[in-house]
Amino acid sequence: MSVAWQFYISTVLVYLGVDVIACWGLNLQFGVAGLINFAFIIFQAAGAYTAAVLTLGPARPATQGGFQQYVGGAHWPFPLPILAAGVVGGLLALLVGSFGIRRLRSDYEAMVMLVVSLIATSVVTNQVGLVNGPNGLALVPKPLASIVNLSPIGYQWLFVGLTAGVCVCVYWLVHIVTSSPLGRTLRAVRDNEQAAAALGKNVTGLRMVAFVLGGVIAGISGAILVEFISAWSPGSWLYPETFVYFTAVIVGGLGNDLGVMVGALLVPVAFLEATRFIPQFGPPGFIDALQWIVVGVLALVFLWFWPRGVIPERRRRFPPAAEGEGEQQLVSTEAGP
Amino acid sequence: MSESAGALLTVTDLHRQFGGVHAVNGASFHVPPGRITGLIGPNGAGKSTALNVIAGALKPTAGKISYQGQDITGLPSYQVARRGIIRTFQISSEFARLTVLENLLVAAPGQRGEALWQAALGKRYWRPQERAMVQRARHLMARFDMSAKEDEYAGNLSGGQKRLLELMRGLMAGPALLLLDEPMAGVNPSLARRIERYLLELHGEGLTMLMIEHELAVVERLCDLVIVMAQGRVISQGTMAEIRTDREVLDAYLIG
Repeated sequence: MSVAWQFYISTVLVYLGVDVIACWGLNLQFGVAGLINFAFIIFQAAGAYTAAVLTLGPARPATQGGFQQYVGGAHWPFPLPILAAGVVGGLLALLVGSFGIRRLRSDYEAMVMLVVSLIATSVVTNQVGLVNGPNGLALVPKPLASIVNLSPIGYQWLFVGLTAGVCVCVYWLVHIVTSSPLGRTLRAVRDNEQAAAALGKNVTGLRMVAFVLGGVIAGISGAILVEFISAWSPGSWLYPETFVYFTAVIVGGLGNDLGVMVGALLVPVAFLEATRFIPQFGPPGFIDALQWIVVGVLALVFLWFWPRGVIPERRRRFPPAAEGEGEQQLVSTEAGP
Repeated sequence: MSESAGALLTVTDLHRQFGGVHAVNGASFHVPPGRITGLIGPNGAGKSTALNVIAGALKPTAGKISYQGQDITGLPSYQVARRGIIRTFQISSEFARLTVLENLLVAAPGQRGEALWQAALGKRYWRPQERAMVQRARHLMARFDMSAKEDEYAGNLSGGQKRLLELMRGLMAGPALLLLDEPMAGVNPSLARRIERYLLELHGEGLTMLMIEHELAVVERLCDLVIVMAQGRVISQGTMAEIRTDREVLDAYLIG
C-alpha cells in the first residue's frame, strides 16, 4: 500500500473511532434513555477545547509571539488531557441537564438543547479570550509524538491503535450500563416515565445519569479528535453536526451498541467520505451543502421505512429456570425496603 | 368514620385546585388494612385526582395524607412508591419496547445493579438477585395465565393483556397498598370476571387495595367498604348496604 493510501486509511479509521465513541454516547442518551439532546455536539466541543488547552501549555501574549489567546493553558502529559476532557464533558452535562432535562420533556427539551447549542457557538465565537474566538486553536501538539520518535506514517498507525484502545474502554462503560438492570430501568423511563416513577424509580436522577455519562463520552470523543487533527474552531462543531450523529444512531439502530457502530460507519464515515470522490460540479460549495440535505433525507427515509435501524434493539430473553429454585411469596404485606 | 385509628392510609381535608377548578375540595377518608375499599362517584367527582395526589403524581393544594402513621403529603411519586404504595393507571402504561418479563423485572423493588456504581461491579454482583426476580416474575405470569407472552414486547399485547400486565407489574413491586384506577376499564366481560377473581384472591392473601370503579355491581361484589365522592368531597363512607340508604348518595348519582 502506498504511503498516501496508508495516510488516508489511518485517518479515516481515527475518524471512525471518534464517531463510534460519540454515537455510543448519543445512543446512551437518545436510544436508551430517550433524551433528545440536540446540543450533543457542544459536549464533544467542550472535550476538544479542554484537551487542546491542557496540551498547548500557557498562552503567550502577542508581544512574545503568541498568536492565540485562551484561558487555563497547561502542559499535561498524555492521557490526562483526554481524561480531563471527559470530566469537563460530564460537568457541562450536569450544568445543562440541571435546567434542560430536570423539568422539560421531549419537544421542549429538544428546543432548549438546540438553543443551548446555538448560544454556545455564539459565546465561543465572540468571547475571543476564551478559546481564541472564530479562529480557534491550532498547533495542538500530538500526544507522545516527542517520546516515541516514529515516522509520520508510523505515528498515524500508533494513533489508530490509541483510538481503538479508547473505543474498547468506552464500549466497556456503555456495555456495563446497557446490559445491567440500570439499562433496563433507563429503557423503562424512556418508554413511560410516569409508570416508572409509580414503581419507585427516581426518573430525574436516572435521566441525569444517562445525560452526564453521554456528556463524558462525547467529551472523550472530542479530545481524541483534536489530538489527531491538532486544531479546533467553532466551525468544527456547528449544530448540524449533531444531526449527523442523530442520523447515524437512527440508521444504525437505536438502543443497540453494535447497530450504532454500524451507523457510525455508514453515515459520518462512509457516506460523507464518499462525497469526496464525487467530481466537483455546480457552484463552489455545492457538494458540501448537498451533504446536509442528503443526511436529512437519510434520517427521514429511515424513520419512515426502517425506524428501528439496520440492527434493531435486541430483544432480551432470559434462560429457563434451573431445577429446584423455590417458590416465592407473591404479595408482601409490608412496605418495600 | 369512627374506626380511622387502625387505618393504613388516612386522608384529611385534601384539596387540589387546577386554576379556579376545585377538583378535590376537602376530601377526608381512610383505607383500613386488609380490605378492598371502593372509590366511587359520578364523573368529575375528583376520584382520579384524589388517587393521583395520594400516589404523588400531583401535589395537593392543601390537606394531609398519612400512611402507616407517617406524613407522606407532597412526596414525589417514586418516594411514595418506595414506601409500598403502588398504583396502576387507567390508561395502559406498559413499557412498550420491553418484553413482558422485563416489564415485571423493572418493577421489582430494591434491585441490585440499578445504580451506576452497582452496575460497574459487574454481573456477578447483581445476577443472582436478578435470577430470583425472574423466578418470581415467572410465577406471577403463570398465575395470571400470561406465561406464553413472556418474551413478547409489551407494546404488542392486546388491550386486555395490557390490563393484566398493569396488575402484574403492580404486584411485582410488592405493594402494601395497591391503588387501582379502573382496573377493568375497556376489557371484555369474561376477562373482567377473571380480573375480579384475581382481585378477590389477592384480597384473600391480605393485600390492601383502594379501587376506583364505575360498575356498582362490581363494587358490590368486591368491596368491603365504599367511599362515595361528589364534587370534590366525600359524601359518604361505609359498607355498600349502608351507602344504599344514604339519601345524599342517591341524589349525587341522580344529579350526576
